[in-house]
Amino acid sequence: MRFADETLRDKLAAEYVLGTLSPRARRRFEIYLRGNPQLRRAVSEWETRLGPLTGVLPSTEPPARVWQAIQTRLQIGRKAKTGFWENLSFWRVSSFASGLLALALLVFVALPKPETPVEAGRMVVVMNDLATKRPAMTASWEAGQRGGRTLRIRVIGHAEMAPNTSWELWMLPGGEQKPVSLGLITTHETQIVKIPAALGSQLDAAQGLAMSVEPANGSPTGLPTGPVLYAGESIKT
Amino acid sequence: MNLPEAPTPEQLSDLLARCALRDQRAFATLYQFSSAKLFAVAVRITRRKDWAEEVLQEAFVNIWNHAAGYSSAKSAPMTWMSAIVRNRALDWLRRPREVEIDEEHEELMASLADESPGPEELLRRSLEAGELAECMKALTEEQRRSITLAFFYGLSHAELAQQMRKPLGSVKTWIRRGLDRLKGCLDQLVK
Repeated sequence: MRFADETLRDKLAAEYVLGTLSPRARRRFEIYLRGNPQLRRAVSEWETRLGPLTGVLPSTEPPARVWQAIQTRLQIGRKAKTGFWENLSFWRVSSFASGLLALALLVFVALPKPETPVEAGRMVVVMNDLATKRPAMTASWEAGQRGGRTLRIRVIGHAEMAPNTSWELWMLPGGEQKPVSLGLITTHETQIVKIPAALGSQLDAAQGLAMSVEPANGSPTGLPTGPVLYAGESIKT
Repeated sequence: MNLPEAPTPEQLSDLLARCALRDQRAFATLYQFSSAKLFAVAVRITRRKDWAEEVLQEAFVNIWNHAAGYSSAKSAPMTWMSAIVRNRALDWLRRPREVEIDEEHEELMASLADESPGPEELLRRSLEAGELAECMKALTEEQRRSITLAFFYGLSHAELAQQMRKPLGSVKTWIRRGLDRLKGCLDQLVK
């Protein structure tokens, strides 16, 4: 199959999304899809074009066992452990029904809020690539000082940034608080980010850090808008 | 428990972003908000509740695992999640099966006949589909029928030809020309 031909590309993408490709053609198409961003874009455009059709179907409540099976498969939800990954909740969507939140609270144990200023010492965050689950970036700083903080960032391996995008670093205060931008970073192996004094003690007490992919000049909304690639928990050493 | 009002795309995007950070509570909320819509999609394609349950389960495992790859700049959250459900459902239908395929096929075809309300009826009633519904009206009846049957029931060209009792070549042409016309119409409306 030649995908340099835009018309052919678009035709195949349309039939793939519509679901009319034969099983064999479908499998082959999916293999091409992985290595071809233009083809992926064509598919995504067709999903957007035809997607509204699904809106016409009347909602059908799935039986409760489906959610139980999902929890079992992902090994989530049942633990009493209150680790970082089990409890992260950074943004509150204020308009959610309170019943829903109450239910969620029954399922997930609320995290104790950090209160007292962190004592002097070195803080380290190892951020994992959320796709590969491997360490991808580290950050460290001296906690408990007066004034600003100097964040030393180390990018592990050779990371690449897509054109016209940027990497934005976020402080995750924990609990129900929203992430706070710490500014844009680069793919350089070692770099330094200066944190203003006003954020110093909040950073020391933060639950962790994360990096998201944003438009070239950073998030337009002040909150992460793109995919979050790396995240990790703060550790006091 | 009463389900909340339909969530906005912004809320769903936000929940997906939190899922990318492994926020289980956000995932539970996302499931509460979207599972009934997505289950309907799976039921329609697989034609069997038990299969649809398997598909929905697979799809939500995928959603959790790939939430970091979702970008609100590229597609609406429901579009992204529906596409995952549709793809899992289509894979499910097309997977190699031990069951006698002819028998199953007959059942499928029979179930299409007594469908109420049919997808075309749903589409006519729908206000949600907006521009798409507008553009669907501009198609010929055969084009519209073949596209809606393919989309909602996950029928391949050959299955469509059998269902519509028309030659395979005609069905392929209706689909291709119908999709072309839809694209032209939608792209013009969006501009």
